[in-house]
Amino acid sequence: MTGKEILLRALKCEATPRVPWVPFVGVHGGALIGVDAKDYLESTEHIVSGLKASAKRYRPDGLPVVFDLQLEAEVLGCQLAWAQETPPAVISHPLDAGYAIKALPTLSVEKGRLPLALQAIRETKKELGEEIALYGLLTGPLTLALHLRGDDVLLDMFDEEEGVVALLDYCAEIANQMVDAYLDAGIDVIAVVDPMISQIGPSHFTDWVAPRLDEVFSYVRKKGALSSLFVCGNATRNLAAMCATQCDNISVDENVDLAELAKVARAAGKSFGGNLQLTKILLLGDEADAKREVVRCLDQAGDGGGFILAPGCDLPYAVKPENLEAVAALVHDPYLIEVARNLPPKDSTDTFDDIPIPDYAAENQVLVDIVTLDSAGCAPCAYMLKAAQKAADEYGGTIDVREHKITTRDGLAYMAKLGVTAIPSICVDGRERFASIIPQRKELVACYQTAAAAK
Amino acid sequence: MNDPLQQLIEAIKVGNRKIAATATQTALDSGSSGKEVLGALSEGMDDVGKRFKANEIFVPEVLVAARAMKKSMELLEPILVKSGIKPEHTLVIGTVKGDLHDIGKNLVAMMMKGANFNVIDLGTNLPAQTILDAAIEHKADLVGLSALLTTTMPAMRETVALMNKEPHPFKIIVGGAPITQDFADDIGADGFAIDAASTVELARTLVTSS
Repeated sequence: MTGKEILLRALKCEATPRVPWVPFVGVHGGALIGVDAKDYLESTEHIVSGLKASAKRYRPDGLPVVFDLQLEAEVLGCQLAWAQETPPAVISHPLDAGYAIKALPTLSVEKGRLPLALQAIRETKKELGEEIALYGLLTGPLTLALHLRGDDVLLDMFDEEEGVVALLDYCAEIANQMVDAYLDAGIDVIAVVDPMISQIGPSHFTDWVAPRLDEVFSYVRKKGALSSLFVCGNATRNLAAMCATQCDNISVDENVDLAELAKVARAAGKSFGGNLQLTKILLLGDEADAKREVVRCLDQAGDGGGFILAPGCDLPYAVKPENLEAVAALVHDPYLIEVARNLPPKDSTDTFDDIPIPDYAAENQVLVDIVTLDSAGCAPCAYMLKAAQKAADEYGGTIDVREHKITTRDGLAYMAKLGVTAIPSICVDGRERFASIIPQRKELVACYQTAAAAK
Repeated sequence: MNDPLQQLIEAIKVGNRKIAATATQTALDSGSSGKEVLGALSEGMDDVGKRFKANEIFVPEVLVAARAMKKSMELLEPILVKSGIKPEHTLVIGTVKGDLHDIGKNLVAMMMKGANFNVIDLGTNLPAQTILDAAIEHKADLVGLSALLTTTMPAMRETVALMNKEPHPFKIIVGGAPITQDFADDIGADGFAIDAASTVELARTLVTSS
């Protein structure tokens, strides 16, 4: 089963052999190929190159092609301000003075950056579309309404109701035009991205936004595609109402309790995704942090399927690729998830003084420490332990091979004190010699002989 | 409910700008002092802040309450000026260099005005030196820095670093979606608030303690 198939099944809440993973690569694609956000988002070639680099490094099951919530707004007359490391920001609102919706420019796939975005979809489909599901992101009705009218939309909900109704209806029509364009270009999943939903309460959401979202989701369904509702920000209070819309999937950021979303989404028959922490972990943390974070997400999502592992929102430009590679490694190897589950907490100040390790230099025999998850249940650990023991038999000298399981305090102490970088790992006389990869017997015997000669 | 001050408090709570204006005018016409009307405005906005913090109301409700407060202030301000009543404390606020997103900063500014702070809103995308110069010029008690984007967090760090290079009389408070207490501590800010309502509480504590 390809990653794409796994993801599409998960989106439909069907059983999958593993949890699928969708890194929301936006302007970060530019960082991967060495161009800034503006150059990236204005070039089909750069977008396709960035996505190919992401596919290679992060082994995703799905990718958004263009993560830029200003695409439609730009065509409809909003001015944009560009920055080097972020998507552009809207700096003018064409409906500032009132609801002259008919005076707005018409949306057309020939206008603004839409041609290059659609071409990027077509080319990415050719390059990656067999293995990876492509997400087409469109601006949700509330966020697009704020782009066009400004914050006044929120005030007008109290005393300019007709204008707000007309504007939100118009934004839903624009969204459906984007659905047509995206699906024609080869998109597999339509993601309606509406971060402003996190700023309103359930009654405003239900009265104003949900009916327009449903126009889009029902249209996507009619066209035979899948849909997702992305809301960045703290959308906790709206989760139940969001799950009552006709989308197939809900995706949220780190502000939302994933365990709570899992409960609400499953009860509503929706799949759900999220919510790797963008700043603290993926941008500022290290690989160990990223691994712990994957475990946190998987545990909170719980058993029961329909979960897609993803960052909370679009990845920062300068997010550390090695952190995303660490996430990918865990997604593709359940054994590594178990290893990560046993990592000591980040803020641990435990120095394991109660577990002394030998004074290796003073020992007469060669001491081989195999640090494992547990050779009884972990195949690579068992093979490595066996390899170390067989090499010891062949070596024939005085040697002691001991296993230290990181599921125990003894194992954690050895891992910390010997500076073990991967599990399983072979340490000879207190030094890590083979991390993760099981060496040839000849190589291992030679290593034992060198250690013995040094005594 | 015939007491115009009470009517004003209720109008602010629900964001009814017409009643807020009428009640303000009636209160002033019937002999309430500027300070009393200001007190009613603060009471209304405090209630809005509390309910916002408790997730009972959300951004639109706060914006509409702030708009009602603004209507009342238009009538009240000339009276306050005439009586020589000025806010005791000044906040200089803006978003850091590179950040054009201002809805959070605007909310904080509105809530702080409602809490009777003199608010100097510098706008968005501000170089560190501009904020520092404004803080000195306006004799600020507090400087508020906002960042919505993860990518502008370094600019927030640089702004605080520039301010803390020399001793200064103001406290620096920071906020925005990606900002945390850890980050605020790390960059040397004096305070962090999770939302606009908490900013008011934090600001009151900081100006009282200094």
